[in-house]
Amino acid sequence: MENSTPLIALEDVVVRYTAGTEALKKVNLSVGKGEFVFVVGSSGSGKSTLIKTLLGEVPVTSGSIRVSGKQLNKLKRKELPYYRRMLGVVFQEFRLLEDRNVYENVALAQRVIGVSNERIKKNVSIMLDMVGLNDKSRDYPQELSGGEQQRVAIARAMVNRPGILLADEPTGNLDPNNSWEIMTLLEEMNKLGTTVIVVTHNNEIVDRMKKRVVTLHQGNLISDEAQGGYVQ
Amino acid sequence: MKTLGYGLKQGMKNIWQNRLFSLAAIGTIATCLFLLGIFYALLSNFQHMVYNAESTVGITVFFEEGLPQEQIEQIGDQIKTCKTVEKVTYVSAQEAWEKFQKEMYSDEGALEDTFGDENPLKDSASYEVYLSDVSNQESIVRTISDMEGVRKVNGSSTVANGLSSFNALIAYVSATIVILLLLVSVFLISTAVATGIRVRKDEISIMQYIGATDAFIKTPFIIEGVVIGLTGAIIPLIVLWFLYEKLIDFILAHFSVLSQWLAFVPVAEEFKVLLPLSLLVGVGIGFAGSAMSVRKHLLR
Repeated sequence: MENSTPLIALEDVVVRYTAGTEALKKVNLSVGKGEFVFVVGSSGSGKSTLIKTLLGEVPVTSGSIRVSGKQLNKLKRKELPYYRRMLGVVFQEFRLLEDRNVYENVALAQRVIGVSNERIKKNVSIMLDMVGLNDKSRDYPQELSGGEQQRVAIARAMVNRPGILLADEPTGNLDPNNSWEIMTLLEEMNKLGTTVIVVTHNNEIVDRMKKRVVTLHQGNLISDEAQGGYVQ
Repeated sequence: MKTLGYGLKQGMKNIWQNRLFSLAAIGTIATCLFLLGIFYALLSNFQHMVYNAESTVGITVFFEEGLPQEQIEQIGDQIKTCKTVEKVTYVSAQEAWEKFQKEMYSDEGALEDTFGDENPLKDSASYEVYLSDVSNQESIVRTISDMEGVRKVNGSSTVANGLSSFNALIAYVSATIVILLLLVSVFLISTAVATGIRVRKDEISIMQYIGATDAFIKTPFIIEGVVIGLTGAIIPLIVLWFLYEKLIDFILAHFSVLSQWLAFVPVAEEFKVLLPLSLLVGVGIGFAGSAMSVRKHLLR
């Protein structure tokens, strides 16, 4: 599935925080269009830093990151929002707006990029159908289960049809059944052509899905297996 | 346009969610602009009255004995060219004598007995010079004194200076109070907006992740500040409009002794300046306060 020109390419990436901690140490990684990649590792291994760096939230200290042909370390501040529109992002704690219903939470992603109300209505409905929540569009996040909330978050991340979906511990707050449902949903998105990168601790799911697994340990990339399992 | 629509909706929502801070900010701006309105009305009315008073404070120019009428006229023309000279009136010796008689002696017979047909003020022809700006009186007096054929110039600099100084004092005091209140207003708006930013921290962070531009994120907060400022400006304008006329009626009714020299500016005339000034100041401090807060709390 991997193309000759990678969609995401990290070359000797070092990320050092101001306190002096080196979160990523000369990491080299290449992800092709349409790939599904698990990033695993223990706490403090640099998994979340990798996601934050890809989001442009944490600057690269040295090395280079290229995403969809854009050199991330050369991105200007005003270009960052437009870069982020190429990405969808899902977090462990869902990060839904409690004062807005399911529809409005998903619609926010479209409003931000200036889509017309008419298009928003159509797109949100399609997306909610995909995640199986069209009948709950008027419900508020607190009225939903954890799994449902994460599905709303995935709908919000995907409604603008980004090429890349970054998921940081998307099953961290879910029971095994819901976790599996979320992973199945991410796999469906992947099958539709979206490149998916999932940071996770969930060894059962990683072992069961037989996807590419990249393992980080103390900021070093220590293994990269095409159909790997969880490395303890 | 969509950003503006979204910003307006969210801005109004912010105001409602932080209604306590918003109300405090609106209250302070309203107080500040109410005082600004009061000071402006005081100042403009005082200036109006001073202007009226100034027109009665004149300079009297006397000529050297036996100066030909032609040269007197030349002096008059010269005076007219001086800056801020509004009116020059010639008072002949005969007119001066008649005026003196009328003011000083009601018994005409007594003066006729003493002077007969002779005019004791025959060398007292003069020009009465009126200025548009009384503060220039001293320099005008100097200029006229230096003119050839002028014997003496009588000014009333004490009155003139007193009026100007009082006018300036009111302006300084009111400017100081208004500026202090404006600063308090900016601080309050900035605090109201900062509270809104804190409350919506999660939302802002999510919007940043999904690719919202800075303008999209900032617009609701800027609109929040501007709406607070605008509301704070409109309230005192409405109050002042109704209060002004009532106050004038009250003063004229209760201080009828002063009514002869109390000439008030009509409310519509006052609002020609006060309306745009208040709206501009309200919107300006609203914008400044929210922009300050947005810059401080929203930079990524």
